[in-house]
Amino acid sequence: MRKFSAIILCKIISIIGKMFGKGSSLPGEIALKMCPNVLSEIKMPKYIIAVTGSNGKTSTTEMIAHILSSNGISVAYNKEGSNQIAGVTTFILNNSTLFGKVKRDVLLIESDERYAKYTFKYFAPTHYVITNLYRDQLTRNGHPMWVFKAIEQSIKAESRLILNADDPLVSLFGWERDDIVWFGADKLESDSEEFRGAYNDAAYCPVCHRKLKYSTYHYNHIGHYYCESCGFKREDTKFSVTKANLKDGYAVINGKHKINLALKSIYNIYNILAAFTVASLVGIDEGEIASSINNYVLKNGRVQNFAIGDRRGILLTSKHENSISYNQSLRLASQDTEGCDVLIIVDAISRKYFTSDVSWIYDVDFEMLQSPNVKNIVLAGTYCNDLAARFGYTDIEADKIKVTDSIASAVEMLDNGNSEKIYVITCFSDKGKFIERVELI
Amino acid sequence: MRILHLYHDLMNLYGEYANISALAKILEENSVDYTVDKKSLEDEVEINEYDFVFIGAGSEENQKVALAHLLKIKDDVLKFIDSGKVFLATGNAFEMFGKKIETPSGEYTGLEIFDFVTVRQDKKRITADAIFKFGEEMKLVGFINKSGWTYGVETPLFKVLMGLGNNEESGVEGVVKNNFFGTQLTGPILVKNPHFLKYIAEILAGKTLTNNTFSYEKAGFEITLNKLSDRR
Repeated sequence: MRKFSAIILCKIISIIGKMFGKGSSLPGEIALKMCPNVLSEIKMPKYIIAVTGSNGKTSTTEMIAHILSSNGISVAYNKEGSNQIAGVTTFILNNSTLFGKVKRDVLLIESDERYAKYTFKYFAPTHYVITNLYRDQLTRNGHPMWVFKAIEQSIKAESRLILNADDPLVSLFGWERDDIVWFGADKLESDSEEFRGAYNDAAYCPVCHRKLKYSTYHYNHIGHYYCESCGFKREDTKFSVTKANLKDGYAVINGKHKINLALKSIYNIYNILAAFTVASLVGIDEGEIASSINNYVLKNGRVQNFAIGDRRGILLTSKHENSISYNQSLRLASQDTEGCDVLIIVDAISRKYFTSDVSWIYDVDFEMLQSPNVKNIVLAGTYCNDLAARFGYTDIEADKIKVTDSIASAVEMLDNGNSEKIYVITCFSDKGKFIERVELI
Repeated sequence: MRILHLYHDLMNLYGEYANISALAKILEENSVDYTVDKKSLEDEVEINEYDFVFIGAGSEENQKVALAHLLKIKDDVLKFIDSGKVFLATGNAFEMFGKKIETPSGEYTGLEIFDFVTVRQDKKRITADAIFKFGEEMKLVGFINKSGWTYGVETPLFKVLMGLGNNEESGVEGVVKNNFFGTQLTGPILVKNPHFLKYIAEILAGKTLTNNTFSYEKAGFEITLNKLSDRR
C-alpha cells in the first residue's frame, strides 16, 4: 500500500513540478520518505544497466539508449541527468505501473559515482559499466581513489562488471576476479610512448605501489600498463577499438565494425566502445549496433555551433574542476590544422555550490595550446587573472594571450572578422553567459 | 640554492607542483641561482644537501607509502628542521610530521617531530574555502580538502578567519617550527598567495626580493579574497 501511494505521489508531484519547471529530484525524495525501500519492491525488467565513472557517463548512457531503442527495445533512462538516489527514484517510479512494474524492456541508469552505493542498496544492476576514474570536482570528491572506495561499496556480486581495461584505477575493481567484461583500445596511431599531462594518477601500481610501466599511452593514465612487481596489468579485452583515425574521424571495433565519428575525439571513442559493449551483451547484433551509432550526434548539448558576426565557432562544454574534460577540449582546438582562436571562461566554478578554488587549472594541460594551429587565446571571467597566471607557467607566447574579466568584452574582441574558427571552452556554470551574446547555429 | 620537490609524482594532488614553479619564478626575477631536484619512492634522498624541501598533498594511501619511505631518514629530517632550513608541507603531508595517524583500518607512526595526532575517518571529505592570517598582517586564501582532524598542535602557523582549523574546536591551523611550515591548505598555495611566496623566498635567499612579475597572481589573490570575504 505504501508502495502504491509512493508511486502515485511521485507521478502527481512530477506532473505538477513539470508545470512549474521544477527539478526531478523532489518527487523521488518524497516517495522515499513515504516508502524508504520502494526501489526494492519494484518489479524490475530483465536488464538493468548502470553506468558510472568520472567522465562520459551522460554520453555513454545516451548512446546506449539510442542503440537499444533503434533496435526495437524500449528503454527507461534518466536523461535529465538526475543521477543521485532521489532523481533515480523519480525516473524509475515514473516509468512504472501503479502496481510497481517497470513498463520498459530495459532500465538504464546513469549513476553518480559517489551516490551509487545508496541507489544500489535496494536493487542490483545486471550490467554495471565503469568508464574511468579521473580527478573531478576535487573540492567535493577528494581524489580518484576516494571515489574508488565509494564506487566499490556499490558493487554487488550479482552484477556483471563491464570495465575499461585501459584505466588502471578502474581495472582495480576487477583485480583477482575472472568474471569481468573488459573493453579497451589496442595500440593506436595517436598514442605516445611517453606520459603526457600535468600529473599521472597511475604513476605507481595501485596494488603494490611500485612504479607502473606502460608499453603505450592513449592519453593521461589511460593505456597499456603492467607492474613488474605484483603482476597487475591491463587485461585482454573482449571488446576492442582495433583502429582509430582522429583526423578522418573513424574508429574500428573488433576489427570489422567501422564507425564514423561526429565528434573526433578519443574520449568519444571510449564512450562509443562502452555503449557498443553493453548493447552487444544484451543481445543486439554487432553490425546493427555499429550502424545505429555511426555518425551519431549527441543530443546532450555539450557541443554547440555558434556565430559571432561572420565568424564561426564551436562551444565545447567542459567541466571546471575536471582537468581531463578540459584536456579533451584543448586537444580538439590544438589539432585544428586550419587554425583557430580559443576562448576560455572561468567565471563561476560550480553552478551547484560555491568555491573559489582554482587549483584544478594547474592540473589542466594548457601547454597543448602551444601549437602553431592556435593563433589567439582569450581568457575571461572572474578568474581570468588566475588563468593568466597559469598560462604564465607555460611556454605559450604572452602576446598571443588577452585577458578580461568581462565575457562581453571577450566576445567583442573575437568579433573582428578574422577567418579562423573560434573554440570556446567553459563549463555548464558559465556557458549561458556566453551563449546569450552570440547566435547559435 | 638547492630545491627538492619530494614525492613529486606521489603527493601531487591539485597542482601542487606549481608551488615549485612559483618559487623558481621569483628566484629568476631576482637573479638568484637555483637548481630543482625531484625525488620519490625509488630514490635515495640526502635531504641535508638541500636548502628548501617541499612535499604536497596526496591520497591517504599515497601518504602512507610516502611516510614509510620518509621514516627511513627521520633523523635527517629532524636535523634539517633544527638547522633552520626551509621546509613546506601542504595538505595531508603536514600530518606526517606528527606523532601518529589513526585511521579506521589501524594507526601508524609519524615522524614524531611534533606531538600532534591526526584522527581520520573514511566517510566524508572535510573541505572548505579558507582565509587564514599569518602573523599580524598577512592574509592567505586557499582550500582545505582532508579526511581527518589534527589534535595537539602547540605552535600553529595560521589563525583561521574563514574555513577550518586543525580540528573541530580549533581556531588555528597548521604548524610551524623554525622554518618548517605545515598547513592543510592544498594546491598551489604559493601561486595563490604571492606575498607568502615572497616571505618564504626571502628567508631562503637571505635578502629582500621583488615580485614584480606576479601581477596576475596578485590580482587573482585580491579577487578570491574579496569573493571569500563576501561569504564570511
